[in-house]
Amino acid sequence: MAEMTGLERVAVAITQNGKSVPDRVPVAPLVCGATHRFSGQTYGDWSRGIDVDAFVHGHVDSLEMLGHDGMVMLLDLSVEPEAFGMPVVYPEMDTAHPNYDSPWIKGPDDYAKVKKIDPRKSRRMKFVIEAIKKLSEKIGKTHAIVGFVYGSMGTLSMMRGPENFFMDCLEHPDKVMSAIKVIDEVLNEYALAQVQAGAHSVCYDNLYASESIASKAVWEKFEGAGMKTVCDTIRNNGALVSHHNCGNGIYFDKIIEWGAPHAVSHAYVADDVDSWEEQKRKWGPKTTTIGWMPPGPVAMLGTPEEIEEEVKAEIEIYAKGGGFIMATGCEFPPNAPLRNAKRIVDAAHKYGVYA
Amino acid sequence: MANTEREKQLIKGLQDAVINYKVDEARKLAQAAINEGIDAYKMTMEGLAGGMEVVSEKFDSHEYFVPETLLCAKALYGALDILKPHIKAKDGGARGQVVLGVMQGDVHDLGKNLIKAIFEAAGWTVHDLGRDVPLAKFVDEQMRTDSDIVMLSAMMTTSMVGMKKLIPMIKEKNPNVKIMIGGSPISEKTVEEYSADGTADNAPNALREAMQMLETLRKGLATA
Repeated sequence: MAEMTGLERVAVAITQNGKSVPDRVPVAPLVCGATHRFSGQTYGDWSRGIDVDAFVHGHVDSLEMLGHDGMVMLLDLSVEPEAFGMPVVYPEMDTAHPNYDSPWIKGPDDYAKVKKIDPRKSRRMKFVIEAIKKLSEKIGKTHAIVGFVYGSMGTLSMMRGPENFFMDCLEHPDKVMSAIKVIDEVLNEYALAQVQAGAHSVCYDNLYASESIASKAVWEKFEGAGMKTVCDTIRNNGALVSHHNCGNGIYFDKIIEWGAPHAVSHAYVADDVDSWEEQKRKWGPKTTTIGWMPPGPVAMLGTPEEIEEEVKAEIEIYAKGGGFIMATGCEFPPNAPLRNAKRIVDAAHKYGVYA
Repeated sequence: MANTEREKQLIKGLQDAVINYKVDEARKLAQAAINEGIDAYKMTMEGLAGGMEVVSEKFDSHEYFVPETLLCAKALYGALDILKPHIKAKDGGARGQVVLGVMQGDVHDLGKNLIKAIFEAAGWTVHDLGRDVPLAKFVDEQMRTDSDIVMLSAMMTTSMVGMKKLIPMIKEKNPNVKIMIGGSPISEKTVEEYSADGTADNAPNALREAMQMLETLRKGLATA
């Protein structure tokens, strides 16, 4: 088989799941925040989104040095809440996050403050869209570019503070829902803008669709329909739909019912299976898995041998028949040794060749 | 004794109020107990803690999730605020003391707050340092309170790495203290790598682990 480009490899793994395999297992260790170390910026400046060219060359250089097949356009999870008004803290050496000492939504009545914004004009959303456009021009023919939107529940929980948000979901569902509907519209526009800028896929993060957080009924009530709209927009505009969920016991039945993702990036198995072998048998034919190396214990703290063993084991369990992209189960730790990301890629090259 | 039936009624009522996350009902029953001169400690341990035990079981079996459990904790605290000032120091005493906080640089305190509620309901004294806690503060608080266990929470690898530095700092001052670590990037491997004493993947399991740690500590003291 002729050697494929990273883009071709990822595309076959996602679109030909069970029908055809690429030349080897695609590999994408979700190097997002860690690319600030290729960009010549502090993590704080990288997160602020003040230099799109530095951001782009950080990703391009990381591709050249690590050799992975695709990249995800995640800055951090506070991009969406900040766009609506939530104050964000930018540590110089740490991941940006909402300022929970000063939540923008201070009480149930404040959900009415959430108004529609234009993602093409909102500072960091606009930055992401521009970065995708530039990356598309530079490497869009050879590597997979995956956009990113944080789901409506996650976004809103960051504006209220997760604890109060979860209680409000049960105590003030109508007020929560009114804000969710506004956010859904904006996320839909944001996803569309990323596709139009050149993203081959856009990833919808539905973290709360897992046993780690909420019941199926609560997740479905607040996020199901809105996620469907966003996913339909991505698909109808020619891009692939991917999801990310690093919770435990993911509701694969529900995210497939509502979002029909081509691929799911995940760290743990579905709520109705007990092992990765069972995950492959039950859910493998329905969607491609992007996963699932544990970021902390293995990608960050693992020895070279442990990383290689993990890659080998995951490929042995999941790669047969295609439908698998070797990756970390969540973002590659921004502070982990970059050599470990290279080790993941090298091991995938070594063990991921389809005979 | 006439009070026995009333006590049973109030205990059951408090349990149900916690389990069904009825904040106002929990407060009303707690106030009734105080007004009627009924033992606040008994109401706390058998009513509130009894209710929270059922909540833990529902959480374990995936009948309840984070939103429901938070509301149960809200009902518990609503009643506890009323009962606590009436609990006498001689009553039972705390099962153990724990220092609890989220690592420096990390603001994710949802898991930490659930743990606090479960532990307080079970009769532990919890010294909650909050989130984004400087390393030295954990050491100082353990020394100040002579707590049995220090519990460190991190949701990010960037904050998790601080544990590697902090754990020897705590153990140097007090080698007998037990240290439990938790949060999404933590695994058994992290426990080993950082020389912690244990971890747990949710609040009820953290309580079980802590009870075992406390037993070990007290056996050690008894044989010393």
